[in-house]
Amino acid sequence: MSATLAPAPRWARRLAGITRRSPTLAIGAAILFGFALMALLAPWIAPFDPVQADARNVLAAPGGAHPFGTDGNGMDVLSRVIAGAGWAFGIAIPAVLVGLVVGVPLGLYTGYRGGWPDEIMMRGFDALRVFPSIILALAVVAAAGPSLLNVVLVIGFLDSPVFARVVRAEVIALRGSTFVESAVSAGNPTWRILFVHILPNAIQGAMAQTAVRAAWAVRISATLAFLGVGIQPPTPEWGAMIRQGAEYLVTGQWWVGIFPGVALILMVLGLNMLGDGMQDMLDPRRKAATR
Amino acid sequence: MTPVLEVEGLEKRFPAQGGRTVHAVNGVSFTINAGETLGVVGESGSGKSTIGRAVIRLLKPDGGQVRFQGRDITRLPESACRPLRSEMQMVFQDPWSALNPRIRIGDLIAEPLLLHTKLPRGERQDRAEHLARRVRLTTELLTRYPSELSGGQLQRVCIARAIATNPKLIVLDEPTSSLDLSVRAGILELLAELKAETGAAMMFISHDLGTVKLISDRIMVLYLGGVVEYAPAAQVFAEPAHPYSQALMSAHLPADPMAVLRRHVLEGEVPSPINLPPGCHFASRCPVAVPDCRRHAPELRPVHGDTAHQAACLRIAEGANRIPELQHG
Amino acid sequence: MTLLSVEDLHTHFISRDLDNQIRTARALNGVSFSLDAGRILGLVGETGAGKSLTATSIMGLLRPPARVVGGRALFEGRDLLAMPEAEINALRGRDMALVVQSPKSSLDPLSRIGDQLIRIHRAHRKASERQARERAVQMLASLGIPDPSRRMQAWPHELSGGMAQRVLIALALMNEPRLLIADEPTTGLDVTVQAQILDLLRDLVRRTGIGAIIITHDLGVVAHYCDEMAVMYAGTIVESGPVRQVFAHPAHPYTANLIGATPERLKLGGARTVGGPPPNLFRLPEGCAYRDRCPQAGADCATSPPDVALGAGHIARCHRVAA
Repeated sequence: MSATLAPAPRWARRLAGITRRSPTLAIGAAILFGFALMALLAPWIAPFDPVQADARNVLAAPGGAHPFGTDGNGMDVLSRVIAGAGWAFGIAIPAVLVGLVVGVPLGLYTGYRGGWPDEIMMRGFDALRVFPSIILALAVVAAAGPSLLNVVLVIGFLDSPVFARVVRAEVIALRGSTFVESAVSAGNPTWRILFVHILPNAIQGAMAQTAVRAAWAVRISATLAFLGVGIQPPTPEWGAMIRQGAEYLVTGQWWVGIFPGVALILMVLGLNMLGDGMQDMLDPRRKAATR
Repeated sequence: MTPVLEVEGLEKRFPAQGGRTVHAVNGVSFTINAGETLGVVGESGSGKSTIGRAVIRLLKPDGGQVRFQGRDITRLPESACRPLRSEMQMVFQDPWSALNPRIRIGDLIAEPLLLHTKLPRGERQDRAEHLARRVRLTTELLTRYPSELSGGQLQRVCIARAIATNPKLIVLDEPTSSLDLSVRAGILELLAELKAETGAAMMFISHDLGTVKLISDRIMVLYLGGVVEYAPAAQVFAEPAHPYSQALMSAHLPADPMAVLRRHVLEGEVPSPINLPPGCHFASRCPVAVPDCRRHAPELRPVHGDTAHQAACLRIAEGANRIPELQHG
Repeated sequence: MTLLSVEDLHTHFISRDLDNQIRTARALNGVSFSLDAGRILGLVGETGAGKSLTATSIMGLLRPPARVVGGRALFEGRDLLAMPEAEINALRGRDMALVVQSPKSSLDPLSRIGDQLIRIHRAHRKASERQARERAVQMLASLGIPDPSRRMQAWPHELSGGMAQRVLIALALMNEPRLLIADEPTTGLDVTVQAQILDLLRDLVRRTGIGAIIITHDLGVVAHYCDEMAVMYAGTIVESGPVRQVFAHPAHPYTANLIGATPERLKLGGARTVGGPPPNLFRLPEGCAYRDRCPQAGADCATSPPDVALGAGHIARCHRVAA
């Protein structure tokens, strides 16, 4: 049982342990790590300025100085795909934060309080669910104007019910638990019971959702851009790039739309795998089974 | 001197499925004096935990009166109860779930001090260390989280929390029931010490008769939310008057093979507290019940003129309250 | 006549932790005991001592990461641990039965009581539906369940705790097993109901001559319902023998401490009892596992203690016990 080779460092063993328990999580994390590096190092690894037009080199096929070719403005597609990673993170992360900041306290309060505030919130969420979220997002962004801030806020607000529901369910389970009763009998005021005693124990489920919700945010923002109401060209946002590329697909210049499309799919896949893995690891039943 | 706790005609109901009502506690009265421990025994559905929670206002009573140190607290709103919580504390059955898993032991012990005193942080920590030693925990445990401690250690943490603000009343809801035998003994020893030292009134709720006998001065026997017998501890064990008390005492198995069991096995099980029949609630299982028992609800009366020993049974007056013993090979 | 003889049973939990290291919890470390037909053995111990695991190991009900790594369990002379899966499956539920803890969650919630009883009977015996039904009604009646033919139609959720426990015992007894293991059969039941269930078990053993093991942490149950007792600590049996003898003259310091901690013997304000958390099965000390808590431990306790026979079947596994 004892290893005869030099023992691996602790972080390597931990990595191997996590990979063995959840390969999904490991693959997802690896993909995202790649995109994160890409986003951070974009200024150094991108061969060209992503928004520099080159009128003499419009729609050049992949090869030579432009491995992914150039688009209709003569901008380098590879550089734009690389820069797009930064935009994707720049929308997804703040959007998820907005969702958490709005959704978590809502779920916390209504779950603990119950009664009519809870009833009103749940009915409100049901009403929201009737509309496909993309239609709502379209309507709001179209009305408020297609700025980055508006896109982030709209996606965040639309996402907050997800976090509110998850937290609410946890709070309802915890509300009757003995340690909450013990906190009440010790004389804790309600705010302390909510934020000191319940929140740290109820947040896990919401945190496990963040990666999946980030994937959703990336998708929605790309969809908005594709429909022309989100981030506007020539900003190197993948959705906007796919919209441009779609026009050229029929005339045979496939590379303009396909490369950002592949990047988008990969990132959404990576986030979803990470999210699945996180939920697996945080699921107490699964944890108990493998302990 | 006013008793620490006076309870009169306490009632508590819970809504059940289909618009029905569970009558959990039905007109329970008792008092506890400073330095005294009242043992509360009964089987599931007897309402013993509900009573414990109602007297320290974790639940709102539906009827009757609860007076704490002479003050009526029956209908106080939660915000008005909060300052009182430093003087009445509770220890719960399952120490594994009674402590917030994300808070360090030291902060858990110091929490009541944070909530009820203006002590600075450093002083609170000193007090927490003192309290930890008081319940015989090593102070190195103070920086750990609850999941790193054993059940016995966790229950000591709960007790330290409960005594942190020198309460006048401590409700102990089955504090040893989920612990192993040898650990249980240590907790009982600790509670006995605290009882002698702090002079707090204690309400010790348990279904384990052996444990209750050890620690209680007086005992209240409950059946379906009502008191059937209320007497000094030794008397309840030596000569239980109510037929249910007799059956309960005889069903207890002392951990001694040479002890002779007086067996009266009861037929059936505790009926549902949803549709309580009129009259004596025990009549449906009672071997000595007569038709009158099903018509008139008996009240607590002194047994043979002894006001310290009270029981609620019509048949005591006629001397017909002894239930037959079971012959066993 | 010896019905079951367990010899030097070892069961380990082998798993990998988050750091990818293999961890071994030595849960059972040489469990040995025997049970005669017509007798009741009380297997006592505190949390984590390995009582339930002993039962599931013998019955071939272990699931990974738990694994039997050594020893024998002879049931009427045949080693249960060396048996192929199919063979032990045929024995289980027919010749030997386990009544598991928590009666409410152990019944199939989607079948009526009667169907469950009939199903287990016909799985092991050639019987017609009608014969099986008759037998089931008889069985329920013999367990003191009122109005048994109507109860056959009941769903598990309609039963009280005591009733569910009786039905579980009925399920275990449907095929007239010769060995019955009841794991905490009365835990969570009210005392007045506990007495009914235990009386039933004892009458059954006396009447039919089967062998029974009651797994419990309650010394009161052992004192009044068992013939022999075996005390477990950290996966070994530290002391075993006739109940009255062990209670009167506990030989192992752990047993003595355990019996001294019962409310009947406990003197509040007297000497402190030695209690502590269950031992860490990942890091059991060499030699006697109780030595770090034992008031009588000496240097020799670092080596494996011998089984000392004290006469009349009374055995203690301890260096300090003189034969």
